[in-house]
Amino acid sequence: MAASETQLYVDKHVAYIKSLGDNKDDLTYHMTAHLRMNAIYWGLTALCIMGHKEALDREEMIDFVMSCWDDEAGGFGAHPDHDAHLLATTSAIQILVTHDALDRVDKARVARLVILSLQQPSGVFAGDSFGEIDTRFSYCAVNSLSLLGCLSDLDVEKTVSYIRACRNYDGGFGNCIGAETHAGQVFVCVAALAILDRLDEVDHETLGWWLAERQLPNGGLNGRPEKLEDVCYSFWCLSAMSILDKLSWIDSDKLISFVLSAQDSEGGGIADRPGDMVDVFHTHFGIAGLSLLGYPGLIDLDPVYCMPAHIIEAMGLRKGWKALPRRKT
Amino acid sequence: MHGARRTRQTPEAIAARKQREQSKLKDYLSLTEDVIARRKKSDWSKDSFDLTTRVLQINPEFYTVWNYRRNIMSYGLFVESSPESINDLLSDDLSMTTMALKAHPKVYWIWNHRRWCLENVPDGPGDSHDWKKANWNRELAVVEKMLDADARNFHAWNYRRYVLANMPERRPEAAELAYTTRKIEANFSNFSAWHQRSKVYTSLWESGQLNREKSIRDELELVKNAMYTDPNDQSAWLYHRWLIGSGNDREILESEITAIEELLEEQPDSKWCIESLVHYKRLLIKNHSAEFGAEQTKGLLSQCVSFLLQLQTLDPPRRNMYQDIVDTLSAT
Ligand SMILES: [Zn+2]
Repeated sequence: MAASETQLYVDKHVAYIKSLGDNKDDLTYHMTAHLRMNAIYWGLTALCIMGHKEALDREEMIDFVMSCWDDEAGGFGAHPDHDAHLLATTSAIQILVTHDALDRVDKARVARLVILSLQQPSGVFAGDSFGEIDTRFSYCAVNSLSLLGCLSDLDVEKTVSYIRACRNYDGGFGNCIGAETHAGQVFVCVAALAILDRLDEVDHETLGWWLAERQLPNGGLNGRPEKLEDVCYSFWCLSAMSILDKLSWIDSDKLISFVLSAQDSEGGGIADRPGDMVDVFHTHFGIAGLSLLGYPGLIDLDPVYCMPAHIIEAMGLRKGWKALPRRKT
Repeated sequence: MHGARRTRQTPEAIAARKQREQSKLKDYLSLTEDVIARRKKSDWSKDSFDLTTRVLQINPEFYTVWNYRRNIMSYGLFVESSPESINDLLSDDLSMTTMALKAHPKVYWIWNHRRWCLENVPDGPGDSHDWKKANWNRELAVVEKMLDADARNFHAWNYRRYVLANMPERRPEAAELAYTTRKIEANFSNFSAWHQRSKVYTSLWESGQLNREKSIRDELELVKNAMYTDPNDQSAWLYHRWLIGSGNDREILESEITAIEELLEEQPDSKWCIESLVHYKRLLIKNHSAEFGAEQTKGLLSQCVSFLLQLQTLDPPRRNMYQDIVDTLSAT
């Protein structure tokens, strides 16, 4: 380990994540209800990676997920009585898979009537019936269908052709045709292509170079050229790099130090960058990134599904990504 | 949360803040309870519409309420309305979301709602398309304001491309080229504007409005300016790579290599100069080595290798990348 003075404050982060549900007298808690399902997925996955899956009650969590089922639209909302959306549906499926509780949903119904019905003639997916399109939603669909065991129902060529049309000359991908390359969209497109065994659509050297150039002198990675570094962008680059086996192309010691420096050493949690307010989103992506970087004591993360690797492996879904070897100290 | 500074609060301060927020919280919870209850009853009244306005003004991320608002319009307010009042309603919503975007420029749901409004504006009045034209034309002004506030906001750039591609009276694409020139001249490191420029040119070439070879020569001049202004700025170098593309034009490739070598003499430690030289010399080998023979190819290869070794010292975080390229070159 480099001469970094900081360490990962696992106990503090576990306590922070556990405390998130105790803020019901806080305005912010209610103002973020539209993200609740995602937040639970982020919190649960971060806990799993830190080896503290049991810190949140399994039954309570599964009950919450099921209470967000929107029977009319067919799909999960972010919160009870919120509309179904592909983002929340993906998080719900990921949570259920992590808790080995996928038998609670009608898999075929979710796959066919919900997810596949959102595919547009162009091949991209919409987030819901209102029709916003984004390659993020293509990833959500591919990821969910794969976890549901229904990938064979998908028109792969049509799905891939839209992603291909979003590729830019820098090797990266945007959120729709014509859009600028963005690290988050690079992650979703590369991970979707990995699930579909279509990484031949990626210019590995050019994209690897673009991703490596995201690292800034302070060790953090940005999401686009000439922008600031950020823990979440660092993760999106890292996951794509591990899928392309290019993690050695950046300075991992410096990146580990950057992520650690964004921790709140007192209250727990990780922020977008040092000195900022923590949130569960950056806490999750910070810890997930550290796992890929081989940080000692963490559980392996699967960068394709962004879930614990052993779960994906047990389902027979592991793709050929490579993380850095787990460090001893 | 992005960019919010952390402040250490004492338990007393937190308790005091929560106390202060009590009434706000109570109001918000009763508003959301009310709106959710009405939505369940498929209440498409004007009263409920106004309620969604209040909730969304407090919380523009509440996507379910945006959905409900659109349903109230589609299934309620629009049903008995004249095209004129539909136009008024949608124009009001466009104004409301302009305000919302000023405060929350990166909220996806607001941008989405705007698209929906725009797409539902009736043609009129009468047989004309004036309402539609007026609303779509106004969008460009709005998105320009958004890009003045944050020239890298990708939501705004995506929206801009969407408006330009779908407005009833298309603007000549050359106007968009002029817009990106303005943006780039204001700030050379605005990669979003360079990106947009690459898309506009591609379209102008495909439609035969501009001559590709001529534009590329002009653009190489512009980008050279940017490279000389700040040789460490990635934006110009990336755009330069796009202009060169796969490097089929040997003459351009060689003259650009010479130009970069000149810049390197002034800036001997410029990583981007060296990195680009490696890239372009590799393209020269890949596309043209049959023309100039084995000896010169060997020379180019060894130049690339020594540049890559130099890069390993100049840019240590990425030294393994440079080494991997050395290994690839040695294998050929
Ligand atoms: Zn972030």
